[in-house]
Amino acid sequence: MNTTPGSNEDENQPRENAIGRREFLIRAGAAGALITGSLVAGRKLWQPDHYLPGFEDQKGLQLPDFRFGANKLMPSMAIAHGPDHEKTVSAAIGALGGMSRFIQKGDVVMIKPNVAFDRPPALAATTHPDALRAVAKLVFAAGASKIIIADNPINSPTGCFLKSGLRQVADELGLDLLYPETNSFSPLQMDGEILKHWTFFHEPFKKATKVIGLAPCKDHNLCHASMTTKNWYGLLGGRRNQFHQHIHSIVSDFPMMMKPTLVILDGMNVLMKNGPTGGRLSDVKPMGTVVAGTDMVAVDSYGYSHLLERDIAELTYIHKAHDRGLGNKNWKEANYKEVQV
Amino acid sequence: MAFFKSPGGEKRGRNAFVRTKVPLAERVSAIVIVCLLACIGIAIAIKGRHFDPNLYSLRTDALESTTTAVEGKAGTLRAGTGVQPGEEGTTNTPKATLPPALPAVAKTSAGTSGEGGGDESSTPPAPATPATPAAAASTAQAAPMDINLPGIKPMGKTEFYNPDNLFEKIDGRAPAYLGFNFQSLRSRSFSVDGADGSYVDVYEYRMDTPINAFGMFALERDPAGKPIDFAPDGYSGELGYYFRQGAYYIQILASDQNPQTVAAAKAIAVDRAKSIPEDNAGLDGVRRLPVAGMVAGSVTFVPDNAQGQSFLKNVFQASYDYDGAKLSFFIMLATPQETAAAWKSYQTFAGKFGKEGDLPDVQGAKIFQAESFGKCKVIYQREGELGGVIDAKDAEKARKFVEEYLQGKIK
Amino acid sequence: MKLRTARRISQVFFFSLFLFFVFVSDLRYYKGYPISLFLELDPLVATATAITTHTIYKGLLWSLALLVPSILLGRIFCNWICPYGILHHFIGWLMGKGRAEDKVRIESNRYRSIYQTKYIILIGMIIAALFGSLQIGLLDPICLFHRSMTTAILPTLNLIFPSTFYVRQNFYVGGWVVGFFLFLLVGMNVVIPRFFCRVLCPLGAFLGSIAPAALWRIERNPTKCVDCDLCLKNCEGASDPHTQLRKSECFVCFNCIEDCPEDAISFKFMPPLQHEVTTPAVPARRALLGGMLGFAFFGFGRTSGAQDRDYDKKVIRPPGSVEEKDFLERCIKCDQCIRVCPTNVLQPAFLQAGLEGIWTPILNNKIGYCELNCTLCGDACPTGAIQRISIEEKTGVGKFAEQGPVRLGTAFYDHGRCLPWSMETPCVVCEEVCPVSPKAIFSREVTITKRDGTDITLRRPYVDPALCIGCGICEHECPVTDEAAIRVTAIGETRSRDRRLLMDGGVTNSVRELEQRKR
Repeated sequence: MNTTPGSNEDENQPRENAIGRREFLIRAGAAGALITGSLVAGRKLWQPDHYLPGFEDQKGLQLPDFRFGANKLMPSMAIAHGPDHEKTVSAAIGALGGMSRFIQKGDVVMIKPNVAFDRPPALAATTHPDALRAVAKLVFAAGASKIIIADNPINSPTGCFLKSGLRQVADELGLDLLYPETNSFSPLQMDGEILKHWTFFHEPFKKATKVIGLAPCKDHNLCHASMTTKNWYGLLGGRRNQFHQHIHSIVSDFPMMMKPTLVILDGMNVLMKNGPTGGRLSDVKPMGTVVAGTDMVAVDSYGYSHLLERDIAELTYIHKAHDRGLGNKNWKEANYKEVQV
Repeated sequence: MAFFKSPGGEKRGRNAFVRTKVPLAERVSAIVIVCLLACIGIAIAIKGRHFDPNLYSLRTDALESTTTAVEGKAGTLRAGTGVQPGEEGTTNTPKATLPPALPAVAKTSAGTSGEGGGDESSTPPAPATPATPAAAASTAQAAPMDINLPGIKPMGKTEFYNPDNLFEKIDGRAPAYLGFNFQSLRSRSFSVDGADGSYVDVYEYRMDTPINAFGMFALERDPAGKPIDFAPDGYSGELGYYFRQGAYYIQILASDQNPQTVAAAKAIAVDRAKSIPEDNAGLDGVRRLPVAGMVAGSVTFVPDNAQGQSFLKNVFQASYDYDGAKLSFFIMLATPQETAAAWKSYQTFAGKFGKEGDLPDVQGAKIFQAESFGKCKVIYQREGELGGVIDAKDAEKARKFVEEYLQGKIK
Repeated sequence: MKLRTARRISQVFFFSLFLFFVFVSDLRYYKGYPISLFLELDPLVATATAITTHTIYKGLLWSLALLVPSILLGRIFCNWICPYGILHHFIGWLMGKGRAEDKVRIESNRYRSIYQTKYIILIGMIIAALFGSLQIGLLDPICLFHRSMTTAILPTLNLIFPSTFYVRQNFYVGGWVVGFFLFLLVGMNVVIPRFFCRVLCPLGAFLGSIAPAALWRIERNPTKCVDCDLCLKNCEGASDPHTQLRKSECFVCFNCIEDCPEDAISFKFMPPLQHEVTTPAVPARRALLGGMLGFAFFGFGRTSGAQDRDYDKKVIRPPGSVEEKDFLERCIKCDQCIRVCPTNVLQPAFLQAGLEGIWTPILNNKIGYCELNCTLCGDACPTGAIQRISIEEKTGVGKFAEQGPVRLGTAFYDHGRCLPWSMETPCVVCEEVCPVSPKAIFSREVTITKRDGTDITLRRPYVDPALCIGCGICEHECPVTDEAAIRVTAIGETRSRDRRLLMDGGVTNSVRELEQRKR
């Protein structure tokens, strides 16, 4: 198919100007392959309807239930009073039946401290390193293979863990400190009152078999108190500052979100006012009490009335959680034990 | 092109050589291509003419969803909780206070689910709340009122009102309705054939529960009304019919006493009563109250703290003419444990303020009698039912009334 | 008829078609014309968005209609169809060497190594696309031409002939940059004919990369050829037909066939390749450099934070836009949305949306506002950066009533500038024009004593953030026109999870809503 007017036949060069069959097949094949490839790609990738990318079929994760050691005969809540941090914590755990009631050999235990702010331990705005040390030692003694500590603080994570003294404890005892990194979050899915779909600090829980919440007892300007229930707020990611528009509802969602093995309320030094950040030693009052239990609602109930010394009727989230059946605010009805060190 | 001189000498020229021998294949291809271009042009012109006008303007059928008023902050039609964003609270508080004779009736549904305060949805509620019959009813009430009866024709459009604008229709009566958790009002007028200038007004007040509809109905009840047979609670007055069916309180009002108008009003009333499914949930207490000797229009309902007692809830009470005396008799229905406990509490309370003593059981019901401050009461309790005569001057008559009721002699 | 004649007819046809589409992108004439057809035909747009989004959006499938003939014939697009190429061809002939002596013209059409630049640019853009940053729109000829017409040429022409293209004069912020850029590129034809097409065009590079597979090619018969180089005189692509044809540069313009006095050149089916330079001549190291530059564009663009924490409050995207990161994967900066917007509110951004957002559309409520019952921008967008939502979905009625309307942002009062709030003067135009029902602006009455001692009852306006859709008509109509007393900013937009303001109708529910919005 050439466009020159028949002059080619005159020259003796049909061979040179014609291509071989092999070349013909290769080139035709290449063009054909390219065309077919484009058609197939077009067909496969075609999106005839519009859509919003990124949200389809995003199934969130659901946390497993970490509860363990339920026993009608043994107490479910223990209150220990004493002057020494470690001894009081041990006494509280001991009153529950010892850490071995909850932790078994080979467990990977995730301890969730409250390190929301970069405060020194004396200001009682964060979990006290002595409390973490005591709990970690008990957990290791019970046979756990690994302890992970993690939190997603409001202030910068590296600063918080360092200044609160928890990084030192982690280095000392060989705990796995996980920082909230970009890829540590996954979407959570649950049917809470406010919490339905939210990005969650999942990395520490991927391998965890038991979870212990270790919270200080603090006043909170908005929801009245930050204790073992509010402690779980630190696992939420994203723009969680919007939850303050419904703070009581979301705090009452936490006992649904997380079913820990154990919660410990460290009331050795209580932040009585200007919480949750505090800032003065005069805000802190030594109460010398540690409460441990399996029901965070009950533990918080004791904490609010006895450690923060306030009227439990104010604590809206606890009544919400109780009404939703997520815990019992009447801690006295639980099988509890009170000891003095 | 020959007009424009460009720099350069003789050797310029766009086409010094012009090809003349054009092979057939080339000619054909060229023409085919030009035809193809023409086809493309025509195709585009045709495409340009056909378009969906809905791309550029709002479809009017989509506007249907805006026929009902939207309440609440978020511009969506979710059935909200009664709690506004930012506020705390788990139960709705009553909106208006009523005269002490009939305290405000609070919602009986628990917690925050259910119809929001004043919210009216024509779309299904938010995921947390299962679709309730009330939601279906609200959808029905959002439709125009069509009554297909001979002899009447609609006069004007159907009017719709929600708790916020109810006062525009009924003015000062609105707070009372709101106190009974008024949900929506659908109202329309109908002209009567053959009676010029006559018309019938239909008012359908939808409350949230049959009990509240009953409460509102009872509040406005005319003691001189004549009973009717086509609705569980109702009466006819001089110019209309008033009754409760399901959770609705319906008023059919005739403009005059022209026989055609009155007949039309009756027909409409019967039709309306039939159009609403019967629902007497929570009104068992009323049914239990004996009818004999009851002073018409004296039934009242108190949800809690009746007679100032915390253990008296959902109490129905009526006045009776008995043996020449006026007696107040009440009934409370609950679980057997609750009534037993209530009875004991009542007895203890009565004992504190006056004389009190047991009376012999009648038909398995325990009775005690008490007297304080010149008034006496006879209270009985039997399986799930607590009741009795209160504030009676004549102790003997009070006792006899209770005994006869328990024996089934007073129905 | 000669093929060259057919080519000239085709050029006139497609150029006129392009101008027609540009002109008719006005609600007065809109009807059903496929005004974005050229963009949908553009195979680079389809390929690049397929790389970034892993899909081919709606009408972009049309590019196959162009891709298949290009695989068979070569870069016919560049001279037969591309309106920008046609513009350069014409301007080059008019202004440039098109009228010089033969010798000058022959020299200007030889291949130069600078022509490899477009391949390097293409590689850079493809690498950036692999990482999710779509930048082909900066130099793609169709996008560039549409953008230049919209933001520079048409408004300027409208100054001379008022109300030709718009009812009233339209303004486009920063249009001068686009306009001068166009002039520069077109002006370069004086230096090198078809400068843009040969040196810069990434679409040309793309087609040039697949041209080697073509089955029909220009073939020079070396026996007949007398090496007069006259074939170069009008060669558009500078593809060296006089020696070894560079198929990736050949525009299939047929000028060489017409010019050869010896009839030595023909357009043949599968001629032997030994007389050709088959593949584009791009040294590997330069290609690598291009790739790195593309990656750097993505990297440095993203790390500035303009798409993340440091987002500009004035980057308000058109209604129906997807989330910002997805937007940057789709927007080809063609500015079609800006062209069709009836209120002139859409403007090309410069650096407000970051480096990657140059010339992407944002709202400027001082100039216009987003009309409530209008979704023209979504209709015009060929790649789905602005989704083709219906008006019902935009306003949240009908079956979209439960999920609510699309919000662009939220309005905030500047009390110090507001007449009733600080100037003792009644106003509330904002409340009057607020288009939603119930209105997002409500007012409360207050009686104050003015400076002169008299009392005045004023209505002071408030915004209800749960109802505000961020349309901006309040800002537009506010009498304080230099800087309105109520201004819309991007927070509260429904398209973004991170930029919500309120909890209720806030993130938790809206993620559910957005999930339900799967269509």
